[in-house]
Amino acid sequence: MSEPLLSVRDLKTQFFTEDGTVRAVDGISFDVHEGEIVGLVGESGAGKSVATSSILRLVDSPGEIVGGEIEFKGETIFGLEEGDDGELRPRDEMLTEEEMRKRIRGREIAIIFQDPMESLNPVFTVGGQLREFIEINRDLGAEEAKEEAIDMLREVGIPAPESRYDEYPHQFSGGMRQRVLIAMALACQPDLIIADEPTTALDVTVEGEILEMVTELQDKYDTSFIWVTHDMSVVAEICDRVNVMYLGEIIEQAEVDDLFHDTKHPYTSALLDSMPRPDRTVDELRPIQGVMPEAIDPPAGCRFHSRCPEAREVCREVHPEPRELSDEGEAPHTAACVKHDAFGVGYDESPPIETEATGGFSAGFTETGGEAE
Amino acid sequence: MTEVGPPESDPEALLQVRDLKKHFDNESGLLAGVQLDDEFPYVSRSTSDVRAVDGVSFDIKEGETLGLVGESGCGKSTLARTVLRLLEPTSGSVYFQGEDLAELSGEPLRRMRKDMQMIFQDPQSSLDPRMKVGPIVEEPMKAHDMLDEEGREARAKELLEKVGLDPQHYNRYPHAFSGGQRQRVNLARALSVNPDFIVCDEPVSALDVSIQAQVLNTMEELQEEFDLTYLFIAHDLSVIRHISDRVAVMYLGNVVELADKEELFENPKHPYTRALLDAIPVPDPRSGGRKALLSGDVPSPIDPPSGCRFRTRCPKVIQPDEYDMTEDAWRNVVEFQRAVERRAFEETDPDALRSRYFENAVPSGDAGTLLDEALGHIERDEWDDAEQILSERFADQSVCATTTPAYEVPSDLTDGRHYSACHLRRDEALASAVDEPAVDDAARPGAGVTEADD
Repeated sequence: MSEPLLSVRDLKTQFFTEDGTVRAVDGISFDVHEGEIVGLVGESGAGKSVATSSILRLVDSPGEIVGGEIEFKGETIFGLEEGDDGELRPRDEMLTEEEMRKRIRGREIAIIFQDPMESLNPVFTVGGQLREFIEINRDLGAEEAKEEAIDMLREVGIPAPESRYDEYPHQFSGGMRQRVLIAMALACQPDLIIADEPTTALDVTVEGEILEMVTELQDKYDTSFIWVTHDMSVVAEICDRVNVMYLGEIIEQAEVDDLFHDTKHPYTSALLDSMPRPDRTVDELRPIQGVMPEAIDPPAGCRFHSRCPEAREVCREVHPEPRELSDEGEAPHTAACVKHDAFGVGYDESPPIETEATGGFSAGFTETGGEAE
Repeated sequence: MTEVGPPESDPEALLQVRDLKKHFDNESGLLAGVQLDDEFPYVSRSTSDVRAVDGVSFDIKEGETLGLVGESGCGKSTLARTVLRLLEPTSGSVYFQGEDLAELSGEPLRRMRKDMQMIFQDPQSSLDPRMKVGPIVEEPMKAHDMLDEEGREARAKELLEKVGLDPQHYNRYPHAFSGGQRQRVNLARALSVNPDFIVCDEPVSALDVSIQAQVLNTMEELQEEFDLTYLFIAHDLSVIRHISDRVAVMYLGNVVELADKEELFENPKHPYTRALLDAIPVPDPRSGGRKALLSGDVPSPIDPPSGCRFRTRCPKVIQPDEYDMTEDAWRNVVEFQRAVERRAFEETDPDALRSRYFENAVPSGDAGTLLDEALGHIERDEWDDAEQILSERFADQSVCATTTPAYEVPSDLTDGRHYSACHLRRDEALASAVDEPAVDDAARPGAGVTEADD
């Protein structure tokens, strides 16, 4: 395969809080190739959003990227090296804050957030905001930028764009606001768009329209996407390849069809089993037991073992790194679960352990309280 | 079934909603709706109401779950709140255990509330952060003078256990719980007064999928154990399909279809239901994705379309009787009319528009003449005139625009009744509430919609 557009290696982002270090993203690696939609899926608290902000170097104090490499089109967005005094320091070729701001964000990598109302300024007109963005990032004059803005609004399916141009965000419906943000993201024709749960707040009908529009626009502009979502159905619909995250780690990585039909990690299968199906009536749902543990104090061994129906003694001791499990000639498929022979740590001989999923206490209790989205 | 009246003696129906309406003032205050004219009497006053719920009727039998589904803004939550009398209905009645809630007030209403509880969408904001969960669960019992202090504490602990929490957590604050657990506390609180009927307003939409399934399972177990009746609101059809016995589909303040779950999902008889079902993504990349999506936004409930409210987005609008176009030509006209209304194109050249919108079929006869006229207006940049011709002469002439549909159709898959508000079903209808001769172009939109399922 050709050189990836974006390559993330062993990325670690941590938050230093009073209660301890939260390992929000703990060593994830993935690639995004040109013209590809890559999914990043997981429950809330899995570290999806921190991972995407890290790619744009938008992590704020007390958070910090503490390790790993991010390469984008041959440039280093993030990279560390050991200095003379043995301390890690940023490498020389790492882009400066100013270069990130002026060249990368918005122009090369754009981001669409979940809540369009929070991303648009309520006291400026929609058209004005879009025009300003185009004016600054594409060095166009005010008139040209306005024309371009109206064209973009029409492109994303805003009815009567000339008159809607002068309206304020509150006069737009949720779906239309999200379209405006997509217009904004596409306006500079970036190579990569990070979409952070852009359709989660929308109705299914509107979500369908937007996904269809994204697929069309993607064909037209050949943009790559990182699509962050917790919704497996959305993944099934638009992604080419998928990364499944659990507690700061990528636990399975595969092409979309393999992920759904040749699932290799128990978490992924549990996630798929727990969803009610629209296309058939399911008598009883099989939920994943318990709640996701806190990233501040992740379980030893495999992080999923406390909720895993297939957990054995060895899962508590061995922390699995993702390994390539596909046969030769097949598309790459990695998973981090020791039940596969490739790990060779004696899973089969190990005795099963009692967990929430295998019959322990239901509905675990979080000491500090996990936040629901 | 055409009459909206006092409850029929159906011993099974726990809740009967009849022609319920809830309108909100669009503006309020002394000068609300005042407009200045340049002619006598110079000042006029017109108020425009938001018709959030506009003539809804249904029954809920004891022990069943009625799912209520629809896009955001269609009036689901307003309906739920009006049914519980948290909002004063504009008109209509809600019979609960034989009593009309719409007529009650004061102490009798307060006492009725003991039997009807509600669970809200946001588990965070529906729990007082400064109260421990034990007292939160006890609060409704206190309000209704149930048990003594000790008895309440014992019951609260018992309920916490029933909903899958540790009774030891009686003294914890809500912030110490995760979203799913908070929703369980909400469940325990609703159950504390031993209600018969619980309205669940999107109870699982704020939760992660894995947690969603746990809470749904608990709700089903509790329903069995305490013999509960649920009105379950959700926008997620997968959840509705899982939990409901019967399903009502709402669009812009009206119920457009109501049937047993299997029947509704496998044999939908309203184009809106069809479109909603087609729009649900299936968690399987081999499913082939979604089909035939709706276009456009839900119209404003201040001035809803006449007749069938879905007609402005419906892919199956019926051709007016006065024209004799082929099906393809009529579809093209409809699509073109909607495109003009949305100003979806800039092109003004009639030939280019013809080849873009009428490639496979062009209307002939009267319809063709009208179309030429509209295209002429567009060429001269007179968009409003073109829009007027297209909507007045085509869209507004359809039976969908002139008559409000209400039909009871045969159920193919189950023995339950099937209500569908769509004129496409007029031939197979068993009964209809459409008063054909009395309806003309001036018919007040939304009037006379009644519910077949009673």
